[in-house]
Amino acid sequence: MITSREAFWIALETLRTHKLRSFLTLLGVVIATTTLIVVMSIINGMNLYIADHIANLGANVFILSQYDWSATGEDWMKMQRRNKAIRIEDFEFLRDSIKSYKSIGAEAEIGEADVKYKGHILHEVDVSGDTPNMIDIGQAKVGSGRYLNDTDYAHESMVCFIGQDLVTEFFPSLDPIGKDVNVSGIPFRVIGVAARIGTTLGQSQDKFVQIPLTTFRKVFRARPNLSVDVQAWDAEEMMVLEDEVRALMRARRHIPYHDTDNFGINASDTIMGLWHQLTASIFAVTVGIVAVFMVVGGIVIMNIMLASVTERTHEIGIRKSLGARRRDILMQFVIEASLMALTGGAAGVLISLIVSRIVSIFFTSSVPISAVLVGLFLSTAVGLFFGIYPANKAANLEPIEALRTEA
Amino acid sequence: MGTEAVTSSMQQTQAPPVEVMIRTENLWKTYDMGEAIAVHALSGVTFEIDRGEYVAIMGPSGSGKSTLMNLIGCLDTPTSGRYWLNGRLVSELSDDELAYIRNKEIGFVFQTFNLLSRASALHNVELPLVYSGVPAKERLEKAQEALRKVDLIERMNHKPNELSGGQRQRVAIARALVNNPSIILADEPTGNLDSATGEEIMDVFERLYESGNTIVLVTHEHDIAAHAHRIIHVRDGKIERDESVK
Repeated sequence: MITSREAFWIALETLRTHKLRSFLTLLGVVIATTTLIVVMSIINGMNLYIADHIANLGANVFILSQYDWSATGEDWMKMQRRNKAIRIEDFEFLRDSIKSYKSIGAEAEIGEADVKYKGHILHEVDVSGDTPNMIDIGQAKVGSGRYLNDTDYAHESMVCFIGQDLVTEFFPSLDPIGKDVNVSGIPFRVIGVAARIGTTLGQSQDKFVQIPLTTFRKVFRARPNLSVDVQAWDAEEMMVLEDEVRALMRARRHIPYHDTDNFGINASDTIMGLWHQLTASIFAVTVGIVAVFMVVGGIVIMNIMLASVTERTHEIGIRKSLGARRRDILMQFVIEASLMALTGGAAGVLISLIVSRIVSIFFTSSVPISAVLVGLFLSTAVGLFFGIYPANKAANLEPIEALRTEA
Repeated sequence: MGTEAVTSSMQQTQAPPVEVMIRTENLWKTYDMGEAIAVHALSGVTFEIDRGEYVAIMGPSGSGKSTLMNLIGCLDTPTSGRYWLNGRLVSELSDDELAYIRNKEIGFVFQTFNLLSRASALHNVELPLVYSGVPAKERLEKAQEALRKVDLIERMNHKPNELSGGQRQRVAIARALVNNPSIILADEPTGNLDSATGEEIMDVFERLYESGNTIVLVTHEHDIAAHAHRIIHVRDGKIERDESVK
């Protein structure tokens, strides 16, 4: 152990005396570590983001819709062909048939529409028709005024509940309650304003107009394609409810036993599943790139260590003449290579922390501690691995041969 | 297992008495130059050096004295023959065992000093102790004591290039002494020094001899060899003459 401390000291001394050379040597490892940690941080940041914003449908909520959101490729093509829209009858059937739920709501959308107020215009606003209980199920919360209620629903009232973006655009200094806004040319009276939700991956979540589903059917589409939001009392109940809804829908649509669903049941985990599929491929590519960088970095380290062994043959001879054993010399060079690579890894960590900080300004990034540890571990391991061959060469030098070499 | 035990007991019976520090028995060193050409650097060298002797090995270049010194210093192994050092048959040891012997039993002093240029005098002297696994505190004490013996304690934090040739050689001597070796093996220790400094160094060896160290001096210079009390003349890989001086 004493000799390894000596080896440590020598390694530090070498790094210190050959600053530029060490820096150039370590560039590969630095880049590899930086890339690894930055990508892991961005994925991690996006994961947190997705979990916080997108996948958060509300507690214990799942959504019945025409398509399964996580399907890709062939499954998606197949769904396009055979899945049927969810109709108001399906919603009413489920509402009346399911035994136990906290809430069941429905929503219809007409994609994006222009909304106007007194000459001001806001494009690409999400317009949807909702059941009055959607306020308990969805993301939006009442900021001021009130949400759509059962009376609005029953009377197909021309009222709307709007997001904060419309307030900013149309009513910067006015109370929006009671004003009329124009949605696709049809006037609706504002009865309530949602609290600000924020943005998700750069997309504002506050650019919406919600009207009663009944009104939606009257003025926009008589038979809209719905998404049905079912809220369970708890997580365990939710799984039971999912099965129940699936069974009811299959029975209602007479799907044979061996056929797949022709509707989709989507929960937070569906979205997370889709997301993980995506990040897994990003991650796989990153691993490949990092591996290439690390191997290149390792070969450069091996090269410089071989040069170092040649350069220090005389020193090795001196050490051997004074009683250094094979393993003492081996240890010295292996520690030197590992320490050098670890230094590169540490530099990579520092750079990636800065890069991650910059990325988080305009996108999202959060450095997981595991990425830092993996980066440090990996770089050290690379130094260790690629240091063994030169170290072994040094350790196997004959003492007299080495001593005879000119210093 | 059985045969090994027998061989080692045989070696035990042939081991020299305690007062003999070095015994070589028919040492050969042959370099195979390929194409069936073999060069005999040493051809059957047999001699003994007692504990506390001050011996010079002399010979012109190419005489085999360097090869002999490498064998005595356990830097090399003989092609055939046996070599006992301090009661131990070292001619048949493995590389790591030889490293241990070099560390514990032999103190080298080289013509070119062979100090680590990037380390301080103190650290240079500490090195043999590092490889013996001596703890840092004890190492420091021993290294300082060795430097005191060669009157260099006040320069212990200087690097070799900040010291004169004579001072460097004294650092090397301190390094050779620090582990209390059985023999001090000096290879042309004054070869790179002017004659006045050379005399100083020879005085240091004289003092070491007087305090009981066994010294083997390898040189081709008569005036340097004259400091020793016995001179072994080597020529053409053989001992030509073994004479007592003084």
